[in-house]
Amino acid sequence: MKKRWWYRCGFLVSLIILSLFVLIPTIMDLGDDDTYPIHSKINLGLDLQGGLYMVLGIDFKKVYRDEIKVYGEKLQQYLEDQEIFTEILPIDIADPLDPKQRLQLKDPLQISQAIEQFKKSGMGGRILRLTSAKVDHLEISLRKVEKRKIETQSIGKSIEVIRNRIDEFGVMEPEILSQGNDRIIIQLPGIKDVKKAKDLIGQTAKLEFKIIDNTISRITLESWVQKGRDAGIDYSEGEKFSRYLDELNLFLKKDLPKGFELAFEKTSGSVTGKNVSFVRVPYLIEDHTLLTGESLSDARLSFVQDGTNKPYVAIVFTSEGQKIFSKITEENVGKQMAIVLDGNIYSAPLINEKISSRNAQITLGNRSFKALTEEGKTLALILRAGALPVQLDFLEQRIVGPSLGKDSIKKAKWASLIGCSLIFIFIIFYYKFSGFITMITLALNLLFVLACLVAFGATLTLPGIAGMALTIGMAVDANIIIYERIREEIKAGLNYYQAIQNGFERALLTIMDANITTALAGLCLLNFGIGPVRGFAVTLLIGILATLYTSYFVLKLFFELYIYRLQGQKISI
Amino acid sequence: MIEFIDSKKKIPFTSYFKWTSFLSGFLVIISIWAIVTKMNYGVDFKGGAEVQIKFQKPILLKNLRKNLEKSHFKNVIVQTMGVASENEYLLKISADEENLNKITHSLSSSLKKYFINDGIEIRKVDIVGPKAGDALSRAGAKAIVWAILSIMIYIALRFDFKYSPGAVAALLHDVIIILGIFALCKFEFTLQTVAALLAVIGYSVNDTVIVYDRVREHEAQSPDLKLSTHIDRALSQTLSRTILTSGTTLFISLTMFFYGGESIENFFMAVSLGVGIGTYSSIFIAAPITILLDKVKV
Repeated sequence: MKKRWWYRCGFLVSLIILSLFVLIPTIMDLGDDDTYPIHSKINLGLDLQGGLYMVLGIDFKKVYRDEIKVYGEKLQQYLEDQEIFTEILPIDIADPLDPKQRLQLKDPLQISQAIEQFKKSGMGGRILRLTSAKVDHLEISLRKVEKRKIETQSIGKSIEVIRNRIDEFGVMEPEILSQGNDRIIIQLPGIKDVKKAKDLIGQTAKLEFKIIDNTISRITLESWVQKGRDAGIDYSEGEKFSRYLDELNLFLKKDLPKGFELAFEKTSGSVTGKNVSFVRVPYLIEDHTLLTGESLSDARLSFVQDGTNKPYVAIVFTSEGQKIFSKITEENVGKQMAIVLDGNIYSAPLINEKISSRNAQITLGNRSFKALTEEGKTLALILRAGALPVQLDFLEQRIVGPSLGKDSIKKAKWASLIGCSLIFIFIIFYYKFSGFITMITLALNLLFVLACLVAFGATLTLPGIAGMALTIGMAVDANIIIYERIREEIKAGLNYYQAIQNGFERALLTIMDANITTALAGLCLLNFGIGPVRGFAVTLLIGILATLYTSYFVLKLFFELYIYRLQGQKISI
Repeated sequence: MIEFIDSKKKIPFTSYFKWTSFLSGFLVIISIWAIVTKMNYGVDFKGGAEVQIKFQKPILLKNLRKNLEKSHFKNVIVQTMGVASENEYLLKISADEENLNKITHSLSSSLKKYFINDGIEIRKVDIVGPKAGDALSRAGAKAIVWAILSIMIYIALRFDFKYSPGAVAALLHDVIIILGIFALCKFEFTLQTVAALLAVIGYSVNDTVIVYDRVREHEAQSPDLKLSTHIDRALSQTLSRTILTSGTTLFISLTMFFYGGESIENFFMAVSLGVGIGTYSSIFIAAPITILLDKVKV
């Protein structure tokens, strides 16, 4: 045999060895043997091992509103320092994706000064643009560049927070990715408690400390809530509580003192057996946030040491936070402080004295020991992981139970086996020994595809298995094209050696065309397709590469050996 | 050598083209009507929720329905899945985004409580909000359009511009008829179907390419003969090969369809249809359109 043949043969053998090497963890269970360099088994998709797949969307409209509000206040402060006084008007959300904040000048003559100061402030440039600066006001909105920055930051921080939460939850190999500029995809394979996971991920967990106004009586507050109820603003199970709260506060704007808003504490009214009836107690709180969860350096579940063993969450402030907290408590002795989580008052302790320590407590209400411990654990976890910078919407959820996954694998294996055996029989019957060679290349094809999946860390899903079945179909086709050509050449009278050479040569272009067009379709799916069917495109594309190699080049290698061994005898095709 | 079809035989394909064009045209029109009026969009595109449940013991369907009604789940459609002996059902909920999450959760809990003695198991839950449903529909449509476009360009570059429209027409023909059959037989149109369609698009072009390849060879050898003669010869010669390749792929696809389980049923139904119709269209659609264009140009 020529030297070049041996080189190609050597290349093939090394590929085979490499593939087997990569696949051993999948085939054999190595346990915790750390000495074997490759650890990863083949990655099974959620539809094969069960688990949770979620697509979360971020609604940036609220984020933009909050941002422009912050900048409005900053600009107002800056202008004030320059003796230019303004009033902040409500945000213009005619275009919800481009909220505009108007600052009304108290003295219209200062308009040109104001514009100049705005330019000097440095907030122009990349952050704000002046949408209108006429007569008596300045109107600002966010620049596209700043919006993009906000988007990227929000997604980045959200992913980080979610990852922290999930890590604590203990899921094996979670996958959290961003998609486009406003979506996050989460895959949690093998997860057992789906509801807990969803709750954990979805909760914004914005912790805020605000002061409560005790001057207005509870009766007045209740009457205001009733007023809202009479006007049709009420909360029903299943809706977003935050929406109810916003509606109510908007409705009562004239009644509520300036700078304050209504918030509720959900306390247990009565505990009878397993049923707990909840009562919502209204409070009037300042809408100015004194301290947030950002100022916490730790949060742990603890138990009261006075013998009751009641669970609570012990929080520790950062040094910055501790300074602010001590100042707040000093200035507000005798008032109640509301500890607000996602807009709901968690607890409202009374400030007896200035607290200069870094530690504080969040009490958890009145329920069974087990329920409170669970709640405390979750709350502490969420506080440690950080608050989500934005509110996430559940766009898509797919939950696959583990038994379905196992069934799917079983059925797919069984069907593939039947399909392959029948093809095997047919090919050998029709092409005899050449058919046998085909089977070997098909086996190598599958070997390489699986090895590639493990090597690239790609996931094998059910559509992926379908892709492999299709790959086999196409590999067989490639072989048929070659063999039919060889047959034609033999019939045309050529000798076997020449017939085989011609067969392979003429068939190459056709095989390339066929596989490239399928690859184009696969690439389109990879590019545009989302979620569950992506696995199909990946497997198909890997399959095409493997097919090109095994059903052409490897086949050629084998045939050259075959011809060499034949020494002029009749070829079996 | 064993052979199915004697390659020396020359079948006058071009003479059948008039009849097959009518047949195809007719099928395409019916398909378009069916798609527009009857298409059964799966939860991936329509939005909503699907809960797949399995019982260890057989239960009465009307009990299931009664229980759902009692618990105020009015808009839930119950479907049997697979064989009756498997005791598997599919519950479909169409609701607006706010409630889907809550509804699915309370539905699962209530079912688990009520049917605990029948060994109920929640196998799968799919929730797709309407926003996501729209996004997926658009993505699916874009993928199909771009696939056809890129293949059209590829064929134009590899062969000749006169071959491209024929191939594309064949592809469109295939996609429309497959979707039409799905609509008429009320099969669900899901993301899997889109993946299968793309596989079919990529694959169906293969036969077309095989034929074009041979036609080009003939054209090079005897450029003065009519194009239709070349096509006849090419089709006859490649018939054996076409039937073998499509046959083996169809075979694998049908096996997976019958034995692969409900999760990939949808996919292989589309692929099986696609392989069959694709082969037909490579012979009876791509070629006649190429001849037509050739006549027009000349």
